[in-house]
This record gives sequence, C-alpha cells and structure tokens, in this order.
Amino acid sequence: MKDKRIDHAGAAAAFIADAPHLAFHDERLWDMRQKRDAQMHLLPEWQELRTLASQIKEHTLANLPDYLEQFERNATRNGIHVHWARDGAEHNRIVAEILQARGATTLIKSKSMVTEECDMRPYLAARGITVTETDLGERIQQLDDQLPSHIVVPAVHKLTGDVARVFATHYGTDPNADDPRQLAEAQRQAARPVILHADAGMTGANFAVAETGTFVVCTNEGNADLSATVPGVHIATLGIERLVPRMSDLGVFVRMLSRSALGSPITQYTTHFRGPQDGGEMHVILVDNGRSARLGMADFWTSLKCIRCGACMNTCPVYRRSGGLSYGAVYSGPIGAIIDPTFNERKYSTLPFASTLNGSCTNVCPVRIDIHDQLYKWRRVLVDHHQMPFVKREIMHMAGKLMGQPRLYRAAIAGAETALGTLPRFALYSWLNPWGKQRELPHPVEETFHAWYRRTRSGNGTADTGR
Amino acid sequence: MKVGLFVPCYIDAFYPRVGIATLELLERLGQQVDYPLEQTCCGQPMANSGCNSDAAAAEALFVRNFERFDAIVMPSGSCAHHVRDHFDAIPQTDAVRHVRAHTYELVEFLHDVLQVRAFPWAEFPHTVGLHNSCGTLRALRTASMSELGEPPFSKPMDLLSGVRGIRFATPARPDECCGFGGTFSVAEEAVSARMGLDKVRDHHNAGADYIVSADSSCIMHQQGCAERAGIPLRFIHIAEILNGARE
Amino acid sequence: MNARDTILDALRRNRPDPAAHPLPPPVMLGDLDAGQARFVAGLRLLGGDLLERAPGEPLAAAIARRFPDARLICSAVPGVDGAVPVQDLPNAQAADPVDVAVVRAAFGIAETGSIFLSEAQLHLNALAHLAQHLVVLLDPAQLTANLHTAYQRPEFRTARYGVLMSGPSATADIQGVLIRGAQGVRSLSVCFDSV
Repeated sequence: MKDKRIDHAGAAAAFIADAPHLAFHDERLWDMRQKRDAQMHLLPEWQELRTLASQIKEHTLANLPDYLEQFERNATRNGIHVHWARDGAEHNRIVAEILQARGATTLIKSKSMVTEECDMRPYLAARGITVTETDLGERIQQLDDQLPSHIVVPAVHKLTGDVARVFATHYGTDPNADDPRQLAEAQRQAARPVILHADAGMTGANFAVAETGTFVVCTNEGNADLSATVPGVHIATLGIERLVPRMSDLGVFVRMLSRSALGSPITQYTTHFRGPQDGGEMHVILVDNGRSARLGMADFWTSLKCIRCGACMNTCPVYRRSGGLSYGAVYSGPIGAIIDPTFNERKYSTLPFASTLNGSCTNVCPVRIDIHDQLYKWRRVLVDHHQMPFVKREIMHMAGKLMGQPRLYRAAIAGAETALGTLPRFALYSWLNPWGKQRELPHPVEETFHAWYRRTRSGNGTADTGR
Repeated sequence: MKVGLFVPCYIDAFYPRVGIATLELLERLGQQVDYPLEQTCCGQPMANSGCNSDAAAAEALFVRNFERFDAIVMPSGSCAHHVRDHFDAIPQTDAVRHVRAHTYELVEFLHDVLQVRAFPWAEFPHTVGLHNSCGTLRALRTASMSELGEPPFSKPMDLLSGVRGIRFATPARPDECCGFGGTFSVAEEAVSARMGLDKVRDHHNAGADYIVSADSSCIMHQQGCAERAGIPLRFIHIAEILNGARE
Repeated sequence: MNARDTILDALRRNRPDPAAHPLPPPVMLGDLDAGQARFVAGLRLLGGDLLERAPGEPLAAAIARRFPDARLICSAVPGVDGAVPVQDLPNAQAADPVDVAVVRAAFGIAETGSIFLSEAQLHLNALAHLAQHLVVLLDPAQLTANLHTAYQRPEFRTARYGVLMSGPSATADIQGVLIRGAQGVRSLSVCFDSV
C-alpha cells in the first residue's frame, strides 16, 4: 500500500494562519530554549558533558547486544520480568497478555513515546482495557484524540481555552473557566480516583543501566511515580537504545536532560526502579521496532543516541512556526524528521525537506547528533529512492543540466538580461510561484553582473575555460 | 596571489552591484582578480535538494573555471559552504580538492587571509542590524553561535567596525534563521515567509535602518518579506558597505 | 527465532565497530560544593522550601505551624507526636487521605536541591506521592555535591525504588504556566536535622 505523503507545508500554513496559537507556540518554545541557554552558561563543563554523553551513547550502541544481555541478567536477578518485542504489535500483545493474565481492565500510565510508536492505546481499548494517561499534557492529547505535538510538552500547541474546551467535554468543567490553575486542579481531582483504583500502572523509561538492571524515569508531575507505586503491577516499556553501561553514566545524562529540555537543573522526579516493590510485580518490555535496522544505517545510526529532551524542537525555527502536529508523526521536529523516514520512507519523505538546514538543532543536542547533516543526507536517500515529487525532481534535473552548460545558461537569460528574465519560464510559472504570495520579487536590474563585467572589463575575463 | 571571483547566479541576476562591490573591494585591497566568464552556479540548489547527481555538471564546470586560482572568493556564505563542505557529486580529483580547499566566503577571506581591519574609504552613517546567514554562522563559523555559549566573536563585525559612522542594532534573536533555505522558500512558503517576517520585524524593533548580510539570498528573501509587510527597512550586502557605499 | 534472539542477532549484524567507540572513564565534573546554602538555593529554584525550627521546637510543632489545617499526618520517622506511623497503613490506597507525610531522606544533592527517598526510608513508596504535602528530614552531613558524586552513593545499588525528588510535583503543560502541585505532593519542605 502506498501511504500518502505528509503535507507538512500545508499543515504548517494552517497553523500559521492562527495568529494567537502561533505567537504563543513560538514564544513558549523560544523561552524554553533561552532557559536552556541560561543553564548551559552556569555549567562551564557543558560542552564536555555533551562530548561524554555522545561517546557513552555511541559506545553503548556499538555494544548494545552485550549491554542488553547484561541489563536483562541483572534485572531478572532483581525480580523484574524482562520481555522482548520485535515491533509494536508484539509489544502490545505482551502488554495485553500481562494485563489479561491478572484480570486487569484499567491501566494508568505516564508518558512513553514508545507506546505512541506502538499505537498501544487503541489495541488495548479493543480488548476491554481502559488506558488513562496521567501526564497532564498527554492526558489532554488523549482526550482530544491527537498525537503529542512535542516530546516533552505534548500539548504545547494548545492555549488555555483549548484545554478548557477539552476538559468541559470530558470532565464536565466550565468551558469558560480557563484559569490554568483550576484546570490543573481539575485534572488532579479527575485523575486521583483513577490512580487509586487502577489495576496496573505503566511507565516509559529515560535510561536503563546495564550494570545494575535499573531503569530511570524522569517526570515533573509525579505521575510516573504514582503510576508505578500505587497499583501492584508496574509495566515499563523502553526502546532498546535507552541503555547506558554504568550507574555513573547517569550523572552525565541526568545533568543534561532537563537542562536541555526545559532549562531546569533536573526534573522534579528522577526515579530509579531496580526491582518490584514489596508485594508488587514489575515487567520491562525491551522494544526494537526498527531500532536494530537503524543501527545498520551508516549515516543515520547516531540518531539512536537521542535522549528525547526536545531541545532540537525548541530551537527549531521551523518547528516553532509549523507546530508539532504538522509532522504527522509520533516524533516531530528535527529529530522526528531524521527518524520518521526509517518507519515509513514514503509517508515521511517530506519531513527532511521541512528544514532550512540552519543547524541550530545540532548545536543544542546534548548528545551531539548531527541532526542537520542527517537531514541533508536523508534528502539524497529519498531522491535516490524516488520519493521526491515528480515536478520538483524534474526542475532540479533541468536546472542541473542548465547550470552545467554556460552557453545554454547565458542563452536562457540572453534576451533582456534583466532580473526576471533569468528565470526559466517553466520554473517561474510553476513551482516558484509561491514566492510571491507573501513576498515581493527582487527588483529588476539594468544588467547582470556578467553583462556589466563584459561591458566594462572586456578582454579581461577568461572566456571558454576548459579548452 | 591569483584570485578567482565567483558571483553566484542570483547575485549575477538580481544583485549585480554586490558582485561589482566585491570585485572593486578586492582590487582596492591590491588583489589580482579574475572573473571567469563561463561560470554559472556552484551546484548547491540541486545538492541541497537531495538531487546530488544533478549537481555534478555545475560542480565540474566550477572546477574547470577555478582550478587555476590560488584563492576562489565569493560574496556568499552558503555557496562557500557547499563548495567546501559538500561538493561531492563529482570524483574528488586533485583539482577538485584544490578548489574546495581554497574557496573562501568574502568576509573570511578579508578577515583571515588578507587580515584587513581598516576600510578608510568606507563610511556608513546608519544603524545596521547584522544578519549572519546560517551558512556563514554555523557552517563557516564566521561568528560565535548562541547555542554553544562560546566566547563571543564576529568576523563580519570586526570588519564593519572599521567603517566610519556605522552604528549597530542588536535584534532579540540574533542568530535565528531567516527562513530562506533555498528551495525551502517555495516548498514551505508559509513557514519561510513567516520566519522572514519575524526576522525583519525583530531587526526593525531593535532600531535598525539597514539589514546587512554576507548572503544576498537571505537579503532577497527578507527584503521581499519587509516590502510586502510595509516595514521600512533597507538591505545591503557587507561588500557594498566595505567598498564605501553610502546610500 | 524468538524475539530476544532476533533482536540481539540483528544488533550484532548491524552495529558499528565496537573498537571505534571506547567507553570514556567515569568523570567527576562541575562544582563540588556540597554546602547547605547551595542545596537550599537549588531546592528553592525547583519550588521546595525549608521548614525551620526554633531551638528545641518539636518537629510536630513546626509541622503544625506550617500546616495548621492538616488533619492526617503520617510519618515514616519515629517520634512525631500525633502522626500515624506509616507502618499502620495497610496499603498504598490508605495513603490517599494523608495531608502531610514525614520522612527522612537518605541524602541530598547540593547542585539540584534534590533529596533521595527509597523503600528503606518510606516503607510505603506511594506515601511520598499520594500525600498532599511532604516534610523531609535531612542530615546536612548527608549532602553530596552534584549528580556525579551522588551516583557514587550505595543507595542506588540497594534500593529497588529510589526517587530523587527536587521540589514538589509541578507542571507547565497548560499554556506554559508553572503550577506547583500537579499530580503528586503540592509542597515539599526540607527540615535540616542532624542524626
């Protein structure tokens, strides 16, 4: 089946047309970027931390099978049941089996990008299991039936009025009561009984430590801790690339995660799970879902270093203006644009082009992923795999031919040798048309530089090179 | 030193005065400059679009035009970035390697190679906002980048400081991309135009009368946005100011 | 082949050369100040506060001063007058009505104002999250400088559940407005108390 290409540009245009949402979205994320900068300035060792984090992750990925086995050994010894899932379907089946074997019908969970990847909630719902997201932003998105628009702040594209509307529909609150405090309190009051009576809890994991069998969950709301400690069963889903070798490595990563993400020195909760609590049960599901294949992609394997901080999104001038939902994928923004095509090359073929290649993402990345270079390389891969729309591909092909033949090139612009005459008509009247929607065209000039040079410096220039 | 001047296609067509200023400035500084007439394009538009094989002809022509020079200078950061850091659609012969290693963006050529700091002929009694293109900033590294928290430096500012009467306005987001991005400017028209609008507003709010840049592509985009929005900003290439333009 | 072996096999086939990616030795970077002042600054930055006691003032009195409306106080440390011992709670759900929970942290981190709690301190892990407010006793001698030094603590290798709490629960998920007291405790107060 041929999936439709994501229309990032079209969705972005719709987002931009909504002035209040656009203005808030841009300001909010830029503020997060600035808070991140402030934290960076407080730590003279910042760049060294980035280098270390990158080296530790690259080492871990190069030795991933060994570290996964070590993690499994230690976690099992600590009383954790370790499961392996090749893909989303297998992951969802494992979760359902764990729950059904215990007669569980209600599951509370904290935010996990992997469960979004696996599209777990509909699968469980179809099997009579009610899943409740406990992270506020994620809950808003669940109630509104949207993907998270940001890895860290899933509902950042919404204003308080939007949240009030969602809560009014689902919680019966006053749709006009849009005080954020009241809305957050409404969520607390709505969530608490669900948490108290849930049959099982689920979390993701930010890190997993091979040498101890520990996994670490970082949140600000405390909802992961509630999800993990109140019900008797705790299931944690983690991508196999979450591993780090040693406990001491956490020092490097925890110091950078929240500073990069929100500009706070640490998340309010940094929780280390090494085994089930008294009388409880703990499961870890190690999910591949394309990661082992990505590890074999010479130009793109380092995207697996990502610690999901979202800093690349916050700094990305395109993301800030297009909104995360415009990417049409679980992972949005710059990091999404380099990993989404590994899930579905055609569907996400437009995303690596939704970038100016400005490189700010690469600079803020705490694990030094060369995101903008990978965007550049993805474009080549996608063109080689015939994923570029025909018209654009043809224009590039014709332009390339023209640029290789100076006489043809000059002949194409020979007529008037004025500004607009230099653009071949096919380009001017088709693909380049959008230029003028919100921008003036460059002013016409009397003559090109080339013509001026020939007129004023005749005999000076080098004609007919290569002969 | 034999200097070859490369004038990018859009400067040739839309901003010939930038090419003229670059040539005159280099000559003023005592350089022997030649402009090969058969030049077209460096290959960047095709390569940046992922159509690398389509960049091969332009790259091969570029090498034929410029392999005989000691330095290849261009008033464009993004073209210099392409030649230096990408430019791999053709086999990497000695000539190709020579060209790639000796290609300079104008500011870095003036700053690092000629090490010029004084421009006694230049006077620009206006308030300018400096726009560092992403190519010059994050690829060629002609200025410090805010994301890294590194000690501040700016080669274009070093040069402009040698111009009499010039004043600077600093926008709130000095190294945010302006949204040109080559084919991005049309493929992602809405985002591109919005970024451009935000950029020119930022400079205008900071009190700039002019935006100065080492990249005419960014200028072309920003100027288009400013004119459509009725924002009274003027635009000028750094080569023009350094060559003594008064406006 | 089962899922485990399929994944491990694919990783072995696809991984980059391990020799090209050595593991850097553990590091001890950054400010090594483990002082109380740094801790308090970090704690306050993340929305936590100090519970200060007058000389000789019993802990229960200080808590009553801070939380005059508290009806149910539950303590994981002995000797808090009027508090229900955590050992008396039959299950996690029983911690829901608790207004103030009292616990002693194993250690604190000066860099971030974090305190460490595990089952050894809490006895009932959910107590630290279902209670409305948390009062944490902390021995200043148990302050460590930063996260690098913290991860050398033995507790990380013994606790099955170990949380670094840095201020109270918080969210900024609604239009970026910071709200302390999201899903977990609404406030977190640290009371320095030497053992």
